[in-house]
Amino acid sequence: LRFPLSPPQRPLHASAVLRRISDERQKEPGAASSQFDSGPGPLPEQESRGPHPSYTGQGGQESEDFESEEQLQHRILTAALEFVPEHGWTAEAIAEGAKTLGLSSAAAGMFHSDGSELILHFVSQCNTKLSEMLEQEQKLVQLGEAEKKPMDQFLRDAVEARLRMLIPYIEKWPQALSILLLPHNIPSSLNLLTSMIDDIWHYAGDQSTDFNWYTRRAVLTGVYNTTELVMLQDSSPDFEDTWRFLENRVADVMNMGSTANQVQSTGEALVQGLMGAAVTVS
Amino acid sequence: LLQQMWNQEKEHLKKFNELMVAYRVRPTVLLPLWNVAGFVLGAGSALLGKKGAMACTVAVEESISSHYNTQIRTLMEEDPEKYKELLQVIKKFRDDELEHHDIGLKHDAEEAPVYSVLKKAIQLGCKGAIFLSERI
Repeated sequence: LRFPLSPPQRPLHASAVLRRISDERQKEPGAASSQFDSGPGPLPEQESRGPHPSYTGQGGQESEDFESEEQLQHRILTAALEFVPEHGWTAEAIAEGAKTLGLSSAAAGMFHSDGSELILHFVSQCNTKLSEMLEQEQKLVQLGEAEKKPMDQFLRDAVEARLRMLIPYIEKWPQALSILLLPHNIPSSLNLLTSMIDDIWHYAGDQSTDFNWYTRRAVLTGVYNTTELVMLQDSSPDFEDTWRFLENRVADVMNMGSTANQVQSTGEALVQGLMGAAVTVS
Repeated sequence: LLQQMWNQEKEHLKKFNELMVAYRVRPTVLLPLWNVAGFVLGAGSALLGKKGAMACTVAVEESISSHYNTQIRTLMEEDPEKYKELLQVIKKFRDDELEHHDIGLKHDAEEAPVYSVLKKAIQLGCKGAIFLSERI
């Protein structure tokens, strides 16, 4: 079963590549079905197998000194993040980032003018950081150095950690969200969102293989999105209102599970009652 | 006998559920539909009598064995070493299913009412289910 990927934008390869590296290091035996698996793109450490980068000059044999185009774009975008609070998610920020790397600001021409790649790069980076954090946490629990958290605490902490990564950029985040919702960005942004939510559930210990798999992810996505929106309008110290909102929403998620069970048992009790009545009458 | 076959199938189900979690695979959205369809098929063919149920078994096991074989081929083409364990699991399950298939035949599946029509219909349904599940 594969996740349908839209034709990947080249800078997204870098982020996908980064994710794949951290995935390959973290996953258990049988990493075959990572959701980004169907994406092409050479790993920077390996000999080039995939699409050849454009500035390798003659021959094309990629040695370790040569940087692929993806890597370069990746570096520029990372450098550009520093300028986002001032310039927003724009080509100006990218130009400034390029300058700090010693490149001409014309390097910003490599990217779309609406800042899409910058935002997607940032989101992908945040997701990777989150995965690494969750992986670390899991290791500590496995080594017995930390207590396993109850499910609601785990979900709260994971979502909070991920949302806190937005804090330095919170002023310009509404702009970023609206760009992520542009039709040509939706496949990528949706992909990033769903894989992040899937990651959180995986580390939370979700082992469902039935329709629950979908309900849990849908519900958590809702929690994440609404909390994100609340955060954008929150002016309380250190966003306490947002975290309280999050706590309530996660509690709802937990209740939902037990409510579903209650509905089911009530239904079953009803049926049994009816059968009993039918038997008595007949 | 049925109990034995049922136990083996339960074991298959359990193993696949474990594999799904280990490989972090997304379950097909149609799963609830298949649950219902499977139940209806089983109950329906049972209503046709013992031979009907056996005919259903034969049809389904044949479809499943061929599906397993396709999977084995795909995995072998990709990387037999990497998938060694998985291949072993699938091969064992395929052999189990073939055994069920033979048991079905032994118990007069072919004498069931409208055997060939029934078998074709069931196999068509199975193929369709596999096709859709691989995509959605």
